[in-house]
Amino acid sequence: MLKFRIYFDKDAEEVWLKEMSLKGWAFKKFLIGFYIFEECEPGEYNYQIDLLDNWKGDKKDFASFMEESGVEVISQWYRWIYIRKRASEGPLEMYTDSESKIAQYNRIKKFFRLGLLLEIVCFMIEINAAIRTGSSLIWLLTVFIGIIALTFLQMVWKCNWKIEQLKQ
Amino acid sequence: MDKSIPLTEALFYILLAVRKPNHGYGIIQEVLEMTAGRLNLGPGTLYGAINSMLEKGWIRLYSEDKESRKKKEYLITDQGEGIFYNEVKRLGELVENAKKMELRKVGV
Repeated sequence: MLKFRIYFDKDAEEVWLKEMSLKGWAFKKFLIGFYIFEECEPGEYNYQIDLLDNWKGDKKDFASFMEESGVEVISQWYRWIYIRKRASEGPLEMYTDSESKIAQYNRIKKFFRLGLLLEIVCFMIEINAAIRTGSSLIWLLTVFIGIIALTFLQMVWKCNWKIEQLKQ
Repeated sequence: MDKSIPLTEALFYILLAVRKPNHGYGIIQEVLEMTAGRLNLGPGTLYGAINSMLEKGWIRLYSEDKESRKKKEYLITDQGEGIFYNEVKRLGELVENAKKMELRKVGV
C-alpha cells in the first residue's frame, strides 16, 4: 500500500506509523512524502525516527551499530533514519535519558534552522522577482516558499519547547 | 580535561561494562543485569555515548574485523579509568555524607 503524507514533526510521524502498524500495515520505505506499507500482524512493529549527526560518513556505522543492538534500520532519507523493532522483542526507545533526548532535539533544531535560513534567502529572491515581473505564478511560488519558511520556524520553536520541557 | 563534571548514569554504567572488551548489544545486556532490569539503555543513547567517549579518549576500539563482519568491541582506556575512579570517589563521598545525616536523624 502506498500513502502520501507530509510530516515535519517526527514525533507525530512516529505516532502515525505506530497507528498504521496497529491496523496491520508495516511501514517499509519512505521517498519524498510517499510511504510504502506491507501487511503485518496488527501491532507487530514499533517505530522510531532519528536524524543523523552529519551529512556524510556515519550512515553505515550507525546502521551496523543499530543492527548489532537488536533494532532494524529500514529506510533512510538523507539524514533521516527510520528504525523498527518487533514488539515481541521488547519496547523500542532510541533515547533513554534526557541528555541524549536533548541532544537529538538539538540536532533536529539545527536541521530546521538551516532549512529556515535557506527558505528566507529563496523568499527574498522570489519576492523581488514577483514585484519586478508582476507574474501571478511567481507570486504563488513566493507564498508557497513563505509557508514552508513559517513551518520550519514553527519546528525550530517546537524543538526549543521540547528541550525546555526535558530540562525541567 | 575537566574531571569534576559528574558522569551521567548512562556514561557511568557504559564505562563499567567496557572494563573488558564488550560490544553494543553486550553493553546493553550487562547494564540491564547490573541494575536488575532498571536501566535499559536505548541504542541511540548508547551510540551517542560511545562516540563521544571515543572522541574524548575514555574508551577505544578493541577489535574490528571487517572481513568476518565481527561486532565492534570497545575497551576502557587509562584516561577513562582515571575519570571513572574520580567519579567513584566523588559518589563515595556523597554516600558517606548522606549516611552521616541519616545517623544523626536516627539518634535524635
